[in-house]
Amino acid sequence: MQTNRMKLLIGGVQLRDGVSTITDILGRLLTRAGLYVMAVERGFASTIYGAHQYDPLVVSPDPPLSWGDARVDILVGLEYDVNPDSKVQPNRDTLLRHAGEVRDGGVAIYDSSTGIVPTDDLEARGVRVFPIPARQIAQRDLKKEVVKNVVMTGALFRLLGFDQDETRLRRLLEERFARRGAALIDLNLEAARRGRAAAEAILKERGWRDVGLRLEPAAGGPSAVYIGGNEALAIGAIQAGVRFYAGYPITPATSILEFMQTHLPHYGGRALQGANERESIRAALGAAAAGVLSMVGTSGPGLSLKVEEIGVSGITETPLVIVDTMRAGPSTGMPTKPEQGDLWLVTGGGHGEIPRIVLAPSTIGECCPMMRDAVRLSDKYQCPVFFMTDLNLSEGRATVREEVFHENGRPAERHLLTEEDVRGERYARYRFTESGISPRLVPGTRGSVAKINSTEHDEQGFVTTDRPTRVAMMDKRMRKMTEYLQHDAKPPQVFGTIGKGPILVGWGSTKPVLLDARERLRAAGVDAAVVHFTHLWPFPTNLAKPLLDRGVPVVVCEHNFLGQFAGIIQAHCLIPTRRVLKYNGRPLHPSEVVRAVQEVTRNGAGTVRLGGKDDVMVEVTLDA
Amino acid sequence: MPETTSAKAPASIWEQNATPRHRIQWCPGCGDYAVLNALKAALTTLELTPSEVFLVGGIGCSGQIRNYLNGNSFYGTHGGALAYALGAKMANPDLKVITLAGDGDTLAIGVENFVHICRRDPDISLVIMDNGVYGLTKGQDSPSAGLGQPDLKFSEEHPPFLDPVKLALASEATFVAQSFSGDPKMTTQLMVEAVRHPGFAILNDFSPCVTYNKINTYDWFREHVEPVPDGHDVTDEEAAAALIVEFERRQKLPVGVIYRHPRAKAPAKRLPLWPRELDNVDVEPMLRGFR
Repeated sequence: MQTNRMKLLIGGVQLRDGVSTITDILGRLLTRAGLYVMAVERGFASTIYGAHQYDPLVVSPDPPLSWGDARVDILVGLEYDVNPDSKVQPNRDTLLRHAGEVRDGGVAIYDSSTGIVPTDDLEARGVRVFPIPARQIAQRDLKKEVVKNVVMTGALFRLLGFDQDETRLRRLLEERFARRGAALIDLNLEAARRGRAAAEAILKERGWRDVGLRLEPAAGGPSAVYIGGNEALAIGAIQAGVRFYAGYPITPATSILEFMQTHLPHYGGRALQGANERESIRAALGAAAAGVLSMVGTSGPGLSLKVEEIGVSGITETPLVIVDTMRAGPSTGMPTKPEQGDLWLVTGGGHGEIPRIVLAPSTIGECCPMMRDAVRLSDKYQCPVFFMTDLNLSEGRATVREEVFHENGRPAERHLLTEEDVRGERYARYRFTESGISPRLVPGTRGSVAKINSTEHDEQGFVTTDRPTRVAMMDKRMRKMTEYLQHDAKPPQVFGTIGKGPILVGWGSTKPVLLDARERLRAAGVDAAVVHFTHLWPFPTNLAKPLLDRGVPVVVCEHNFLGQFAGIIQAHCLIPTRRVLKYNGRPLHPSEVVRAVQEVTRNGAGTVRLGGKDDVMVEVTLDA
Repeated sequence: MPETTSAKAPASIWEQNATPRHRIQWCPGCGDYAVLNALKAALTTLELTPSEVFLVGGIGCSGQIRNYLNGNSFYGTHGGALAYALGAKMANPDLKVITLAGDGDTLAIGVENFVHICRRDPDISLVIMDNGVYGLTKGQDSPSAGLGQPDLKFSEEHPPFLDPVKLALASEATFVAQSFSGDPKMTTQLMVEAVRHPGFAILNDFSPCVTYNKINTYDWFREHVEPVPDGHDVTDEEAAAALIVEFERRQKLPVGVIYRHPRAKAPAKRLPLWPRELDNVDVEPMLRGFR
């Protein structure tokens, strides 16, 4: 019996079939039951309705190492109808597309309301198939089609032996529908019971005692929430003192705007939906200039529109946190697929040379504390701070221990002058200092004025092209980055012993998969280490080079075509890098990384591209 | 008009923390000088102090004005002035936010902001220093080029004049006025009224470019401007529209308040920014939905 450790994939027609409803119920119930859930990949499409949606979900009794490979233990298909465009009838996208991912001896559940689907292939591999007429039960027996998902949930819980007395589901429903009355709660519970009964009947008919998989509540687990990266980072921002947020609707950053609109006013702040991307960042810069800790959030296309203002933040020394929830580009690209293609945009975007800091959390759990740090750094160094997530981190969900939100939750220290500080002197907004950080007076503070200027300026903020002043001012701004590297840049996270085998290098959301690949490589006798970066820019060469320049292959794994981070490492550490690249819209899988690393170490591959027509495509480059 | 104001002898407080007069980089005779003098006089009349004033400059000759007088100032990108001003005002309603920009900045590259700030109606003022050209880049057409030349043959390259007053009214602005910097006394008076207006106030000031606009000169404006008649009901949107049509028909330019109709709005508080205002946050209400 496989208990509390499994991967599910739930698929259906977007919006209509409520895929997210089921994953949300599962995630919350299992988190409450003391288990860990990781639903990082979100397979939705850039339409409101009608596309195939699939949400993989990993369950584990301890924090899962990664989301694993594409292979799943349980497949749940919510579609019920016929698609006239599909040659294979009836339309069962989840079964058609994902049946091959079900492991031998696994489980497949689908909605059989409009007929039985041929699943001989699956059964031949020992997969136990459960046709559940969920929609029929919901529509005909319970007169409420929308509860068909709860029928499926009930069936799933029966197979997994979970919540047999329905107390957990009842509590969740009572919380969710408290205001809408007991009748609705009873209806949902009845739907779950019908699903249970339907699954029970099939078990009995087929003579199966169970499905070999089981979920059991874990006693004494830590209190935890089931949360997405966007919400977690927004909480961190509010904790740190952000009181002005501006955004423009864009996938996958929109939920930050929605979260801020809901919660920021309760903490005295305001959230603005800009008329466009530029109004958003400009208003945030205005609020920041007036002294309020401010933040904007967007994705690649929006960031491209905001680029002009990166320079304004940099030269006017107006602090701003800019969240980039990366999605596949270029241009409109694949709006609902993740990528790590914006690194060069945030490290180099904008004309001229701009002091800036780039951070990238590697898990949903890191989003909140790292955002607090981003806000602190923006105020300390008076420059733009980029916070890089991607669609998986932003829209994905995971079980996160609540202490993450409570530890070190104090607001960021503020660095603002008061009336007393400036009394009797002529305040200079851009005073030359050893650190490059000029004491900051916020407009509205009595006693003096701040001349904030995007044109090159003197210490007072007045326009100048005087050569020595220009050089001194440029040096002053850039000195802040040296100061940052000395005091605040964090070294990469290191896993394993460096120097024995290949070093897997990553940044952002790929960390879990690199750690998983490392375990598998070690099991295969390859002593790989993982070096994962969170503080990307200014690149901490002094911290990175001693780790990476060890005469072993440095294999940088990224979700982009060029190997943008590999390029940065090469340029700064003066060492060759090998590249494992995937940009097909799905996250890296550990088995792919293992294969790619083997191509590098055994066969000398320079670049390995994953997930195209062939699973693994190898390029041997001459310079590597 | 409620009171008389002085266009001359600005108080010295506005000369401090400013580029000295002899270093001002506007052409001799530029209409922007009168706007600068009027602004100082208006700020004096309003009894404001430099530390409570937040001047946002547009890009162009006109935006330089922010450095030619005392007061906090902000200078960003071309076309962005109104959006920075919006954020600053939302952050701190105690600031007197005045945006000073040209016609190119406001009506071409910044028109997206102009339209939506009219709708949002923050309590800020905008003075458009309108001269019909891009002076800083040596005299290319701006959207308000072609003023007073209805008989021109237009093309895609040279489209007709865009009237900021009409655009403001169509965009639901709550205060729309027009002035001519050849009459600095009126400009001053209208600035005072614009700053006092509890919402977004637009003052389009004809500020002739003596170097590049050879058509819309001081003399030309003197011939064409005409005060808004006494009987005009400034609170009536239809009357404002009719007034514009009537002036256009006679090939005249109205100066004075054309429309003023404050909109009821929820009061706003200054956002927390000082350490004492940023207490430890209770995260419980935010976590509740994720259990």
